[in-house]
Parts: sequence; C-alpha cells; structure tokens
Amino acid sequence: MSLWAAQVWLGLAVAVIGISMHRTGPAFRRHPFGAPVALLGVALMLFRVEEPPQPELGVVAAAIVAAMWLLPALVGSGLVLIGAPLYWRARPAPLLVGWALVAVAWYQYYSTMSVVPADALRWVSTLLGVLLALAVFALCVRTAERMTPQEPETEGLTEKERKYVESVLRRHLEVTDDP
Amino acid sequence: MTPELELVIAAFVGSAALTSLFVILALIGSLNPYHRPAIPMLGALAVILASTYLFAQMAGIATDSDALRLTLSEGVLALLELLPLAFLVFTFLFLQASFRKRPVDPLLALLESESGSE
Repeated sequence: MSLWAAQVWLGLAVAVIGISMHRTGPAFRRHPFGAPVALLGVALMLFRVEEPPQPELGVVAAAIVAAMWLLPALVGSGLVLIGAPLYWRARPAPLLVGWALVAVAWYQYYSTMSVVPADALRWVSTLLGVLLALAVFALCVRTAERMTPQEPETEGLTEKERKYVESVLRRHLEVTDDP
Repeated sequence: MTPELELVIAAFVGSAALTSLFVILALIGSLNPYHRPAIPMLGALAVILASTYLFAQMAGIATDSDALRLTLSEGVLALLELLPLAFLVFTFLFLQASFRKRPVDPLLALLESESGSE
C-alpha cells in the first residue's frame, strides 16, 4: 500500500475517532479534543502532495462530489435543530436559514447525482450489511456484559448527595430560553 | 455471476466491513476505564476479515491488504449512496420537530412539587 493510500485511510480513521471522542461526556461539556481531531482527519484525507492510487482515488473523488450536498445538509440540519422548539422556544432566524440550506442540499443532490431504480437493490444490500455488522456488535456487547461479574447493589443517596444532585439538575435544566 | 449481482454483494460485504471498522474506531475514540472493548473488537474484526474473504473470492483475487482496501472502498461508496435516503428520513423528522410545541419538563415539575411539599 502506498503512502498516499495509507494517508486516506489514516485520515478516515482519525476523523471517526474524533467524532467518537466528541460524542463522549455530557452534552453541555463535550470532549475538548473531539472536534479538532475530527477536522485533522478530514484534512489528512483531503490535503496531500500526490494523488492516491485506486481505489482510494475513487473514494476521495466520490466523497468530494457528495460533499457538495452533504455540507449544506449538515449545516442546515444543525441550524434546524438549533431553531426548532426542542429544548427551548423556537428561534425563527436559524430555523429559516436551516430550512433554506436543507432545500439547497436537496437541489444540489438532484443536480449532481443520478438515481436509477436499480440503485434500490444496492441500498437494501448496503442496509443489510450495516445491520449485520451492528447485530454482531450488539451480540458481542451482550456477551461481554454477561461475562462481567455483578457488583453489589449501591446504597441510596444520602440527604447531602440528594441536595447536590438536585442542584446539578436545576443548574442544567432550569434555564431561561437561551441555549 | 452477473455484474449487477456482484455490485449488490460488494455493497453488502463492503458496508458490513466499513461499519465494523467504524465500530472499532468508535471504541478506540471513547475508551475509558469502565470499557470492556476486547470482545466487541474481536467480533468487529471477524466481520471485516470475513467480508474481505468473501469479496476476494467473488473478485477472484488474493485475500490480502489490497482486497481489504477494495472491500472498504466499496463500503464507503455504498454508504455514500445510502446517505440521501437517511437525509430524507431526517428531513421528515426535522419537519416534525419544527412544528412541535415545547414539552413541559416532567423532571423540573417533580422537583418543584417535592420542594413545595417539604
């Protein structure tokens, strides 16, 4: 495997590890290195001195073509989630901009991609492949958990601990309508 | 085997291998002292190796690193093709989220009632 092919796979691996790191921790304080590591991975995939060989060249080219609609789709989705009344009151500005970007993403998709009915079979096949991998993972997790010795039941919270948990909940849930 | 069937099988084994690779990378990215990742990692690795073997048999090539690269590449291409379908589902969910009313938080209501009764 050439150095440039390895760089593409290393970039993909670093990007996925970065996204996973970002998902750890509570929602109000994400892992500080998650986003930078993910961006480093994307940069590793895209910026290179020489063109990678096939099949990596095809992978990068397909990813760049997909990015034309994926980028507005991702940004638009984020703005819609910020603007929608999920955790606070609806905020029309991000909601409208988000929907505009979602519309741009769909327009971009239909102007750059061609979908034929035969693709449906490949979609089903891809879905089955993903489901198989996830099913094996779930079975392995269940096996690992069954092999883990049970810990004794923990005692209930003391009054001091109960007050502390209550204060944490209040601080993080009893917010004004700002995010 | 017809080329169409080969494409379908390639999408199946490719997506299974790539999803398992993502599982391994996600386990690495979220590693903590309470994790027991050995068995899930071995399971994911088995799926990757089996997928690569099946792809190599289908393509008539040796089961080596080149076959692994080709399998994972097929997986990336297959998942990229599937993304619009996922985005379609998300667009409907976003529509629902945009027109829903903000729910009353039952946890806060519980806290209020408990502090009021003391």
